[in-house]
Amino acid sequence: MGILVTLSWLVLLPAICFAPPLPLRPSTGTGTNPVIPAASEPAVTESEPVEESDEEVRHPLAEKVLRATLPAAHTPAKHGQTDGPYLIAQRTIVEDYCGWGWVRKEDDTWRQARWIAIEPTVGVCPIPHTFLPRPEDDNNQQYRFYGDFAPYRAYEPQADMWVDVFILKGFLSLGPAEPIRRDPPAQASSRPNRFAERGANMLRP
Amino acid sequence: MRLLLAAGLLLLTSFQITASDIVLISGGPALRSFEKFRTASHDKYWGNFIDAAVSRAKELKSGLKPGDPIVWLVFRPSYLRRTEEDQQDYLKILEERGQIVGIAPIYFDNKDQLFALLRRDGSKDKPKISRLEYFGHSNKKCWMFDYSNRVDGGALEPLVLHVDDLDNISGSSFTSDAECVSYGCHSGEEFSQRWRMIVGRPMVGAVGKTDYSDGGIPKLSTGKGGSWAY
Repeated sequence: MGILVTLSWLVLLPAICFAPPLPLRPSTGTGTNPVIPAASEPAVTESEPVEESDEEVRHPLAEKVLRATLPAAHTPAKHGQTDGPYLIAQRTIVEDYCGWGWVRKEDDTWRQARWIAIEPTVGVCPIPHTFLPRPEDDNNQQYRFYGDFAPYRAYEPQADMWVDVFILKGFLSLGPAEPIRRDPPAQASSRPNRFAERGANMLRP
Repeated sequence: MRLLLAAGLLLLTSFQITASDIVLISGGPALRSFEKFRTASHDKYWGNFIDAAVSRAKELKSGLKPGDPIVWLVFRPSYLRRTEEDQQDYLKILEERGQIVGIAPIYFDNKDQLFALLRRDGSKDKPKISRLEYFGHSNKKCWMFDYSNRVDGGALEPLVLHVDDLDNISGSSFTSDAECVSYGCHSGEEFSQRWRMIVGRPMVGAVGKTDYSDGGIPKLSTGKGGSWAY
């Protein structure tokens, strides 16, 4: 091992010592030198007027064009009563699961969010996706929700769960957001079923 | 001795006079604005649970003892909302359909009202129930009078009858030989057994889904090996 290290030193040392000098930087690149005044470089500034004007035209980014044509862009930015306390809400569609999505307080994280079913206030504010062709068109859109939690809950029949109901009075659209990687509540809510173990008495079809 | 005989006769007469009620319950339809985007879309036709109850009433009428009335309980809020959506007066239509077979709807707006309507003491005003049948949305744990009508894909708490609510229905409201049937989906998988244990009367329910699409009395959905259980 020691011999190998010595040999490599013997080969590498002369290569470094007798290496040709590095090429110098071109002398035109003095724009960064504070000693030379900017006025002494007229040729550079005048030789690229076309390129500069090109930069000033702000072409729409492809991503922005795509976003503007998404159906969710057609939800109004603001609707209903949008004053007073609010919650941050994110539309999340879960296949075969009752509810609208998640809501949290402004300072909370999505881990502290609550899964809600949503009820519109008739004549004041409909559910945001009713402005769109299909309910899933605003999936992962974020809103500010104005309203109150209902004194009753909603029954989720697939998971046998009770979920909170939010009565929507107004909303403010905040645009698209990253999907929330969290499953809605799924544990059974009813009391332990001591009767189901008895099984059913089957009737002849 | 004479007094005893007279009392016995009186008791016998009163038993003959006391009638019992047959109760049919119709749950409400979903809103199309919620359901039309689903792959398994419910209630394209608003009157599934109305037509089923009316057909059943017609069937039962032929074998009724005189004085045994059919009490038809209808969950009103869902029909009002569907009326608004479709611009059709469904309450008027369902009343007309009931008239044809001689039954009139008694409306209820939440489960507490239903409990009150099912509370019987055997008096002339509140005769006991000899038969109860349910037509509406359900899963194995819950009758949902209001499915997908106020909230998308679910039902509001005061508008469902969950197995945990069955304590509010007393077995003494039923005659000793009362028969109960649920024509909702999956009732035979748990709801029936809980009903039998808590209310004390057997209830026949479906294992699997029920199908109202042919009109009239629902049948078990084909293809999934469903059956009736109690």
